[in-house]
Amino acid sequence: MKSSHLLNRREVLRSMVGSSLLMPGIVSHLLAESGHTTDPLAPKHPHYPARAKRVIFIFSNGGVSQMDTFDYKPELFKADGKKTGVGGGLSNQQRALLRPLWDFRPGGQCGTLVSDLFPHLRELMDDICVIRSMKGDDNEHYNATLGMHTGSFFFSRPSIGSWVSYGLGTENRNLPSFVALAPQMPYAGTQIFNNDFLPAYHQGVRVIGGSEPIANLDRRTRQKGLQELELGLADILNNRHLKPRAADTDLAARIRSFETAFHMQTDAQEAFDLSRESDATLGLYDVERGNNDSFGWQCLVARRLAERGVRFVEIVDGSSSKNWDQHGNMAEHAIHAKNIDKPIAGLLRDLKARGMLEDTLVVWTTEFGRTPGVDGTKGRGHHSASFCSWMAGGGVRGGLAYGATDELASTVVENKVHVHDFHATILHLLGFDHEQLTYHHGGRDYRLTDVFGNVVHDILA
Amino acid sequence: MQHFSVMGMVCALGIAVSPGVAGADADFIRALNLNGPALVIDGREWEAETESGTDGFTAKGKRFSDQGVLLRPPTDAARTEMIRSSVWGGTVTLEFSGLKPGPYQVVLYVWEDNHTEQFDLLVNGKVVEAGFYSGSRGMWKRLGPWRTEVMESDGRLTVTARGPGHGAANLSGIELWSGSGTVPEPEPPAFNTDPSADQIAFFENRIRPVLIESCYECHSAEAEKIKGGLVLDSRAGVHAGGDTGPAIMPGVPEASLLIQALNHLSEDMAMPPKRKLPAHVIADFEEWVRMGAPDPRDTNTLAAVKAREAIDWEQARQWWSFRPLATPDVPAVADSSWPVNDIDRFVLAQQESAGLSPAPDADRRAWIRRATYDLTGLPPTPEEVRSFLEDDSPEAGATVVDRLLESPRYGERWGRHWLDVVRYADTAGDNSDYPVPQMRFYRDWVIDAFNRDMPYDEFVRSQLAGDLLQSESTDQRKQQVVATGYLANSRRFGSRVDDYPWHLTIEDTIDNVGRSFLGLTLSCARCHDHKFDPITQKDYYALYGIFHSTRYPWPGIELDKKQRDFVPLVPPGKLDDARTTLSDIGKRKRELERDISGLKKELAGSEGDKKNNIQQQLQQAEEELEKLISTPLPFTMAYAVSEGSRIEDVPVQHKGDPAKPGDVVRRRFLTVFGGDQLPVSAESSGRRHLAEWILAEQTPLTARVMANRIWQHHFGQGIVTTPNDFGKQGKPPTHPELLDYLAVRFRDGGWSVKAMHRLIMLSRTYGQAAGRSEQSVTADPANRLLSGFPRRRLDAESIRDTMLFLGGNLDLGPAPDHPFPPHDKWNFTQHNPFKAVYPSNHRSVYLMTQRIQRHPFLAIFDGADPSTSTPSRTTSTTPLQALWLLNDGFVHEQAFRTARRLLDMDLNETDTLHSASEMFFARRITLPEIRMASHFLSDAREQLAGSGIAREEVEQQAWAAYIRVLFRLNEFVYLD
Repeated sequence: MKSSHLLNRREVLRSMVGSSLLMPGIVSHLLAESGHTTDPLAPKHPHYPARAKRVIFIFSNGGVSQMDTFDYKPELFKADGKKTGVGGGLSNQQRALLRPLWDFRPGGQCGTLVSDLFPHLRELMDDICVIRSMKGDDNEHYNATLGMHTGSFFFSRPSIGSWVSYGLGTENRNLPSFVALAPQMPYAGTQIFNNDFLPAYHQGVRVIGGSEPIANLDRRTRQKGLQELELGLADILNNRHLKPRAADTDLAARIRSFETAFHMQTDAQEAFDLSRESDATLGLYDVERGNNDSFGWQCLVARRLAERGVRFVEIVDGSSSKNWDQHGNMAEHAIHAKNIDKPIAGLLRDLKARGMLEDTLVVWTTEFGRTPGVDGTKGRGHHSASFCSWMAGGGVRGGLAYGATDELASTVVENKVHVHDFHATILHLLGFDHEQLTYHHGGRDYRLTDVFGNVVHDILA
Repeated sequence: MQHFSVMGMVCALGIAVSPGVAGADADFIRALNLNGPALVIDGREWEAETESGTDGFTAKGKRFSDQGVLLRPPTDAARTEMIRSSVWGGTVTLEFSGLKPGPYQVVLYVWEDNHTEQFDLLVNGKVVEAGFYSGSRGMWKRLGPWRTEVMESDGRLTVTARGPGHGAANLSGIELWSGSGTVPEPEPPAFNTDPSADQIAFFENRIRPVLIESCYECHSAEAEKIKGGLVLDSRAGVHAGGDTGPAIMPGVPEASLLIQALNHLSEDMAMPPKRKLPAHVIADFEEWVRMGAPDPRDTNTLAAVKAREAIDWEQARQWWSFRPLATPDVPAVADSSWPVNDIDRFVLAQQESAGLSPAPDADRRAWIRRATYDLTGLPPTPEEVRSFLEDDSPEAGATVVDRLLESPRYGERWGRHWLDVVRYADTAGDNSDYPVPQMRFYRDWVIDAFNRDMPYDEFVRSQLAGDLLQSESTDQRKQQVVATGYLANSRRFGSRVDDYPWHLTIEDTIDNVGRSFLGLTLSCARCHDHKFDPITQKDYYALYGIFHSTRYPWPGIELDKKQRDFVPLVPPGKLDDARTTLSDIGKRKRELERDISGLKKELAGSEGDKKNNIQQQLQQAEEELEKLISTPLPFTMAYAVSEGSRIEDVPVQHKGDPAKPGDVVRRRFLTVFGGDQLPVSAESSGRRHLAEWILAEQTPLTARVMANRIWQHHFGQGIVTTPNDFGKQGKPPTHPELLDYLAVRFRDGGWSVKAMHRLIMLSRTYGQAAGRSEQSVTADPANRLLSGFPRRRLDAESIRDTMLFLGGNLDLGPAPDHPFPPHDKWNFTQHNPFKAVYPSNHRSVYLMTQRIQRHPFLAIFDGADPSTSTPSRTTSTTPLQALWLLNDGFVHEQAFRTARRLLDMDLNETDTLHSASEMFFARRITLPEIRMASHFLSDAREQLAGSGIAREEVEQQAWAAYIRVLFRLNEFVYLD
């Protein structure tokens, strides 16, 4: 740096402003010169050509009923209080069957049957592949949620978003590679977007909505220009410190991180700023102008983040205490469905209109399904033996309803898709062999799918 | 095997065993199919038994049958039907009456229809089977025969199943025999060993080709990976079966696992997995089984497979880390003027052979900053730096090291390293993450142990078995109990109360014991023999029995909220008294609660004097209860372990599933280190023995692993860079002789950790400058040969503590209890789990750390993972860290306070800048830096004044801005 012999104050200032802070090239040059590719988030190529470049993962907390949404069972509509099926919260006891409260109708050209809970999504069934044969390993919210996110139902492991970040890096250094849009905390808390043993670069950044969507994103210094002044001096001093230590690439990387953070203050804010979205777009997502914490807001922000190169966006629907867990009264499913139906349909339509659906994989899932037998008087219990998820875009065969359950939607009888298979398929669409995407930790190679998982080739386009 | 252990237990429990007549058979009296029809089993008539009663027999319990469950192992049709109908419940009593007096024997069939239960079985009131696990769905057992005596006085014989807690037993059938002779075992059907020519032709044409085509890929000696332990390429393999039991029951296809698998009857065993064979092929296999599975293939492939998989122990012990500690010769070096101690000779010798040379000595200011952070996690004060610079004696360095080792800040820093390894947390880790306010006693014990330089052997022994050690004083006793908080700290899982997953907590214990003390990944042997290291599944369950026999405290969980089984901290020998006190208090509480609810009911229906009277009683009872609740216990309760109520060996769990028990294994140490067994006379869990096995000379890993950890925290990386894994998957040592040298010094020097710090820090290796020559960077990019001090970033705790320290704000007083909500307000569930972040001005080691929710600051700066052992911190560099430094309120507050401290010194600007530089970097500020800082301050003042800030605040704010700059510098967070 030549600043050391500058005497004039104005010149020093100009030099500060003119330093690498606003000329990222200098730092990049230093990094390149050292001969190391130290940037762990540099875009990486997967194992083979990918169908999807990014994922929007929508998670509905609490256990969405399969037989009330995407898995039509005429037998259940005949429920007369006599015939029994698996019922109750956590047990295998037999209870009287509970009749679904919503009629089913075919959607799209393909005619996939969807209940009246999702009238908007139903129109898009030609783009959606419903999986009716999902299966998990645990009937507890916490464990099933953990399993759906990490592949491990008990132990803390990296989240699927962290694995994707680790595998693919990011296309936009001014935004995190993995964002969790979670105004409220789901079951298993921060573990669902935790990097665990993967390096912290791959930690999901939680966005809570509201006026400061990411912690510490707002400038605390009120004086315009003071922060630039501070960063300018820090940059000069850091570069003076770096000069005799140029071999240490970590130092240069850390200098660069301030540059990224500086830009995040504006770029990330910009990503969250919906003021320039048209009324039509807001309407598509069912977001009122000025709103910054509704589910529609989450969906629209997800599209904006995906557009800006974020690899994995998770949208958390509901919280651990307010969600789809209808033990007492299934009718409440309608409240939760109404909250998400139009915004998700809007997201799919918007992605399609922008040509992004082709390489964006949209996934919707829950942690488990619900019992055919009644729980309480009008509710359903937890049921991990079968449930529904769906995928759209990013190389998935739309218009397909994959897998089947028995006449009560209780047991998978055809084309079982275990959570591990689900994960293997998502990684496959991103171009990864799920058995090869590994990280060595504590004496062994870990992977998202543990020692399990088969890609469900039948649902690929 | 189960049978064997049952017999053993019968004798051990001292039940009267009548001398039998050798060779003579017992006489069959009767057998009953509980809740089922009459049948013929083993050629004997079984009677029907129903709710309406049977002559001379009653069964008390609920009735239940489910003929749809697939039994494991499969058995013949009649027995299957008998097993699947049963009488069940938390307590089930079967009673024969009107029996003639004399010796009898009983055989009992039990089974499991859903998930595993645990219960005791008693014959005539005496326990014959304690803590029996029923296994997973479909498992069944024929238990007994148990011997007993029927008295003339009552002519009765009772069999009781009793599930303490939640266990419920399904009893399917009972056989009654008289006399003391042998009760015959059911004879398993025999294989066809003398097949006809036609049968052989059938095998060759219809069976062998299918086996080759569809099964050998996974089930033959040639298979890359043999699945389920089953080989089907020889008769021996077919007869032996696999991990889940016999594959074939000769003559009974429907009871043969092989046929069930071909028919895809159960989801987890459907073969071939991808597609079912055609029906006519399956029919051929059924026919073959009906013939008795004739099979001419003589070559014993099973023996070959077994031989291949067996561990060669002698060879296994040759692995570098398992070899005995050796005192290596100190190598000769060419540059004999450089080394100041033997460490330097080991390091230099390796550098020389790689054509490298050491870096020059570090600047003294860099050295004291490095040393101070290393031992205390805080920067040196300008006074400390000055006094070191002024001390030109040869002992100046030693003086500093000694001073730092005496500082209580030392234990806070090095205790934290240990807390990383043992995955310390202040909550339990179950789905609601229950707080454990008492966990901090263990944390404080660790910190204190480092401060007192507790010998490492005592440190290990106390954590594994402190409660079982002799103690000389009440204080020592309390400390020893608190130390076992190490084990109590094991993670809790789930939300279930029925079927609570204790096995996962024990798994977590074994995993951590292996990593922390031995540098071994023992948990890899939970489901199968370790794939890389010589640790067998039996080794694993030999250790498992030790922790199974240990009582862990119960921190509370969603459906069972109250803490229990915590350990009272009382003088030696007073534990029983304290437990009596506790149980008396509990009893009185329950009495009062009962009285109060009774009185309340009575009150509702009464009037006049009676009402007054009741009201008075009620008031009295309520006051007493209130007093009882609010009066503190006469002793403190620790989150610590004690001996279990069941001290016993446990069976191997097939695939790590407690519902799939195998052979029982005697509690003992790892075979590779001699496999010492718990003496037969030992009536304890075996934790005390385990500690001694770990510390024994034949376990060289213990000293190596800890010596490596100490080295690691001085140089940023260990001699073994995988500090928790010294096995084959770990990295080999860069300096094997040096590691042994250190380990021997450590062990023979009385296991003193502080002595190791002195040894390492006074070496010239440690004293090198951080810069390295280009040649050395090219030749050794990762600096494994230490040709220069490895520069490193401060960890999360040091960053936060330093900011508080510089702000004059760090509270060094004793850390208070965490402000958890009061215990009676705990209503945490998985829907609303415990979640809190408690601000504190104490050092970061005292921050409340949740097991399953990361602390927001520690998560950003690579803090330890509180759910699993963290052997070394990663250092990531992320924009989130930068954002924290830019905008977090904490940073701004500490910057402001630091600025105020500086301004309070009332110096001129240049001198203030000097002071800041000394405080932050332990160095003098340079002239250009002063110039730039001055310019910066002027500009900042201008900006601030322009924004309408009060004049007197402008100066402080400008300096705060300058301090924020310093907080963000690489020079601040990196140690040279």
